[in-house]
Amino acid sequence: MAPADVVVSGVGVAVSGIAGPDDLLRRAPAGGDSDDPARRLTGKGLRYKDRATRLALCAGRDALADAGLLGDPGLTVPGETVGVVVSSNYGNVDTICDTVSTIAAETYVGLSPMALPATASNVIASWLAIWFRLRGANLTMCNGSTSGLDAVNWGRLLVRAGRVDRVLVVGVEPANDPVRHLVSGGRSNREDDPRLFDGAAALVLESAAAVRDRGVEALAELGPYARKADQPAAVAAVRRTDPRPVDMWFGAGVGGPAGMTERSSHDLTADHGHCSGALGVLQCVAGTAWLNGHDRGAVLASADGDGSDAAAALLLTAGGGR
Amino acid sequence: MTALVVGMGTVASIGGNTVEFFDSLCAGYSGLAELRGFDRSRYRAQHAYEIDDRPGPGCDETLRASRWLERAVAAALADAGLDDDLGDIPVLIGTTLRELRSVELSWRDGVPFDVRDLHFGTVLRKRFGATNTHTVANACSASLYTLGLGTDLLELGAAETVVVAGVDTITESTYGLLDRCYPEAPERVRPFDRDRRGMLQGEGAVAVVLRREADGPGAGHRHARVRGVAMNCDAYHPSAPDAKSIALVTREAHRRAGVEPADVDLLMLHGTGTALNDEAEAQAVREVFSGVAPTPYMTAIKSMTGHTAGASGLHSLVVAVETLRSGVIPPILGLDNPIDEVDGFRLVREHAELATLRVAQVDSFGFGGLNAVAIVEKVS
Repeated sequence: MAPADVVVSGVGVAVSGIAGPDDLLRRAPAGGDSDDPARRLTGKGLRYKDRATRLALCAGRDALADAGLLGDPGLTVPGETVGVVVSSNYGNVDTICDTVSTIAAETYVGLSPMALPATASNVIASWLAIWFRLRGANLTMCNGSTSGLDAVNWGRLLVRAGRVDRVLVVGVEPANDPVRHLVSGGRSNREDDPRLFDGAAALVLESAAAVRDRGVEALAELGPYARKADQPAAVAAVRRTDPRPVDMWFGAGVGGPAGMTERSSHDLTADHGHCSGALGVLQCVAGTAWLNGHDRGAVLASADGDGSDAAAALLLTAGGGR
Repeated sequence: MTALVVGMGTVASIGGNTVEFFDSLCAGYSGLAELRGFDRSRYRAQHAYEIDDRPGPGCDETLRASRWLERAVAAALADAGLDDDLGDIPVLIGTTLRELRSVELSWRDGVPFDVRDLHFGTVLRKRFGATNTHTVANACSASLYTLGLGTDLLELGAAETVVVAGVDTITESTYGLLDRCYPEAPERVRPFDRDRRGMLQGEGAVAVVLRREADGPGAGHRHARVRGVAMNCDAYHPSAPDAKSIALVTREAHRRAGVEPADVDLLMLHGTGTALNDEAEAQAVREVFSGVAPTPYMTAIKSMTGHTAGASGLHSLVVAVETLRSGVIPPILGLDNPIDEVDGFRLVREHAELATLRVAQVDSFGFGGLNAVAIVEKVS
């Protein structure tokens, strides 16, 4: 049996000043402090959840609803058919740093037991599973600058291996002082701080067969993916597998697809700051929005991994509707 | 598809290589000691199962986890007959706490730390030229999850050889919060004992090289056969386990492996010595193995290694492999008065036992209700 084709069946985004995936295509910095996307979901169940988790729940809800998977109440499909893959490098750094500060000041007695789950870096994926009752395989990728694209590929692999029919993939990073400290190498002085992304993006990946069975639309199809030593190698590996022309490139730096112009390239970090583990998922959400606005073509997303251990690239093509 | 374990490397408080590690367990030698790297005045609990490699008493340093991972991967590659140049070979690293201990030292004490070392791809690129690395932060079931993902890569034809690994170091944030949560401070890990007080962390790393059985072991060994790995999520509670979900994932592992409960000769329990884990795990075992008499032999190595978190699943797998080969089953230390829930279980206590075994089950569960169960078989 040939492994299943995997498509995007839903997208969601929780970023300040961005109302929906189409807004990611605007080439302008998002709306600053106009709204707090973490407040788009309310309820007492959100107490004690860290910022990354709340952002992820907001984007995840929108993607599941977009895919037609949210019933009233609960899911429209069995929970064990849905996996979760989260990408975040800094999600629980605030909990770790706040906790050691409290221990230094007050000993362990000053701690709140409610913080324990967030010391483990899988806490976001765990709350997504609990909140939406998703019982399939559940992964958290903390894989540096390529983490978002890696997460999308792991979501596809879970479907292709037959472990689940669909996966909620969320890329999320919170902006806070501990993250600023870490990213600036401990030299943060607020004046020339790196601009940090604060938000989440989400995709539902699903086997093409499952999408047909549910009678919903495939928004985009996943093409080849590669993680290589640098961006030229990653992009070349993807292009070797699928050489069709790239209409839009979400990425930056050297080694992108040939022939890209300013119009046909879009660096999301220029608008939204250092996206880290959220980047690849944000690119795929933006890429899906672009493909739906054009009904054809191919979008390449890449993380250039400048100065880091590797780079990654992934191709998305028009889903063909249905 | 079945996979072969063709190479293994192990680092823990009780041994710096697989032979030392397994011999220590069989001899009932524990890595328990008083806390070495933290200021003890900040905690009520005073013990852990640490690797004794810090520069001096009471002082700690960054990147210890990265160092152990490097050592475990190097040992596994050598055992598998592979050179130190990994290139595109996938390496999946399961971990609960990544290099978050280094983050603590950076934030609180101003110790320099490069954010690129937070995930393990950076050290693996430097040392082994590895570019296809994936840090999977799946709590305490992380490395057994990577075993499942690794076998998926082999089955899908995405790789010929896969390295799966696990690593964790203790952090003050987790140590302090566990201290805050338990009614009394544990002095040691006592899985399934009435007087257990909870879990204490352990440190270590482990790496396992896998190949499709149909392709043969290459330059490595036929250490054991991985017949199947199942993984799921309770979607129930952020820290408490769910016995029903554990029973489900166990049955799924048996189905994938093509075995019946009666075929399982050895059960490597997750056995953390917490009230919640031990009861839920025992209940799930009772449900799945109902009617199987006698039950499989059962043991739980955290009584000697401490809870090595992201490394613990593959630590148990290495023990399963060595036990299938040698017939020596390490005991559960400190199990003096078993809880009622394990009544009738063939638990190995006090001393190692000898038995002829063919099929082993490895349990690994983590925060967030992440469960993974693997079935491994002796290669004759």
